[in-house]
Amino acid sequence: MADYKLTELMTIRCAREIADGEVVFVGVGLPIMVAAYAFATHAPNMIMMTEGGAIRATAPPALAITVDDPAAFLGADATFGMLATMAALQRGECDVAFIGGAQIDKFGNINSTGAGDWSKKESFTYFAGSGGANDMATSGKRVLAIMPQDKKKFVEKCEYITTPGFLGGPGEREKLGMIGGGPNCVVSTMGVYLFDDKTKEMYLSEYYPGQSIEKIKANCAWDLKVSPKVKETTIPTAKELTILRALDPTGFYLG
Amino acid sequence: MDLDKRMTLKDAVAKFIHDGDTVYYGGFQIMVPMAITHEIIRQKKRNLTTIESSTDVGGLDIMVGAGCVSEIHTAWIMNWYVKAPYAIRRAFNEGKLKRYDISNFGATSAMMAGFLGIPFIPIRGNIGTDMLKYNPMDLKVIEDPFGTGKITVVRAWRADVAIIHAQKADRLGNVVSYGTRGVTDEFGAMGSKRGVIVTAEEIIEPEVTRSDPDRTIVPYYKTLAVVHCPYGAHPSACRGYYGLDIRFSQYQGRYERYADLLPAFLDEWVYGCKDQAAYIEKYKSKFGQEGLDRLKPKLGFKPKMDVDYGYHDPVCWKGVPMYTDDRLKAYEDAIAAKKGGK
Repeated sequence: MADYKLTELMTIRCAREIADGEVVFVGVGLPIMVAAYAFATHAPNMIMMTEGGAIRATAPPALAITVDDPAAFLGADATFGMLATMAALQRGECDVAFIGGAQIDKFGNINSTGAGDWSKKESFTYFAGSGGANDMATSGKRVLAIMPQDKKKFVEKCEYITTPGFLGGPGEREKLGMIGGGPNCVVSTMGVYLFDDKTKEMYLSEYYPGQSIEKIKANCAWDLKVSPKVKETTIPTAKELTILRALDPTGFYLG
Repeated sequence: MDLDKRMTLKDAVAKFIHDGDTVYYGGFQIMVPMAITHEIIRQKKRNLTTIESSTDVGGLDIMVGAGCVSEIHTAWIMNWYVKAPYAIRRAFNEGKLKRYDISNFGATSAMMAGFLGIPFIPIRGNIGTDMLKYNPMDLKVIEDPFGTGKITVVRAWRADVAIIHAQKADRLGNVVSYGTRGVTDEFGAMGSKRGVIVTAEEIIEPEVTRSDPDRTIVPYYKTLAVVHCPYGAHPSACRGYYGLDIRFSQYQGRYERYADLLPAFLDEWVYGCKDQAAYIEKYKSKFGQEGLDRLKPKLGFKPKMDVDYGYHDPVCWKGVPMYTDDRLKAYEDAIAAKKGGK
């Protein structure tokens, strides 16, 4: 059994959600690492788009640190800018919108704006804000999210909804005319989650080696439902880890 | 016309940025106008409103920390290299800063509406979220008058003055940016009411700019001031000139974190440096020439496409008779005869 870091497990697990040939809109942070890995392994025909405005059919020549990193632009197929890539989202051309966040609720709504009650300004702790996450999750055909997990981050209802999941439940996205299908899969620091077709509620589908359903439930603030087919996440192989580590030699993403 | 708009950073900021102005803050996760940021702090400008989409090296954070900014409209701000917007967080908590949140494409679209000279523009995002709830100044939901249902609209953003950093500019004010262009700089700059202050790594001759006008993101008439300013985006990257200085961003970010420590950073790196050249000298004296050397990009990526902007001179048509043939001539003659017969 290979030794691996949590970030490595998450990256490799996340990449499995991307099918070869898909158009993937890649947000800032670990999604960049996942895209690089997917290109290098099972999805060489992926089409990568970034907020910075690069559209590329090949992996960046070096690991991008930001979505506006020159490495993400070098050798790209087109670099029209954010206008062009976000327009592709709005036209419904992006299969996967791949984002991160700070807090998620049971309907997959994401908070990346801050902690606390915004209207009580003195106690609100600002994070960075939406960036492109809102645009991506509104219009991407399916949303893939990578999230830290504890009881304050997996909550019944987000303190601030920056990015729409299924909002208050089934039918709400449609009522507001959103063209994207909403959240599809969440990869957390403890396990993997999918969404119930009818209730649109997030449920546990996989737990990582070393985790247990009880421990995961204790780190989730709502009454988490668990798939009857719940299983342990397949651990990365030595070969997968070798490929991944070579892509991040300084450990910027993987630690 | 040959109006020379070159001036010092000090003069440009003193002359063209006024207390209370709305400022387009250029760049994204690259090309952040840091030298202008420092000069605005040095000159103690007050009550500025900023508009931009996303900014990552803490330039706006220190401008807020120094008390220059009272209102920000943004999609994403933090010093990404310490993973927080510390000074902004404090100013918001203390009631010294109004903050209006919107998505990246919301911000870009708001500036595109400003660029287009229209009052608002529809976009798909932001609907259904708390940004809509807490930022009614920039965001509304309306019924599409053409009947497709609900749609978000964003108010046009137009700055009084835009501040940007670019690779090259000429003395007239033509601004050349390439490689990572097109995030929001052309919209934010062109939508500005008074015009643009640009810092550039290099000043080039207008005939050089005009030899490749596809790369000009701001034409001269919108430009107020051109400042020759090597390392004008540091610690942010400037494509083809230097990379992102992660270690300096982290260093600055650790000062941003503490309200009582940030003034020491400003004293040393901003107030204590008379201009950007002095700031870079300070950098070398503290972190060594090797610190700067580490930022050197890999070069050798000139376009492989040979482009010739050839044109055609219509003078060649002078004296050339109309092309015709018997069928066309017979038809036209018949039409003419019919008209003549009436």
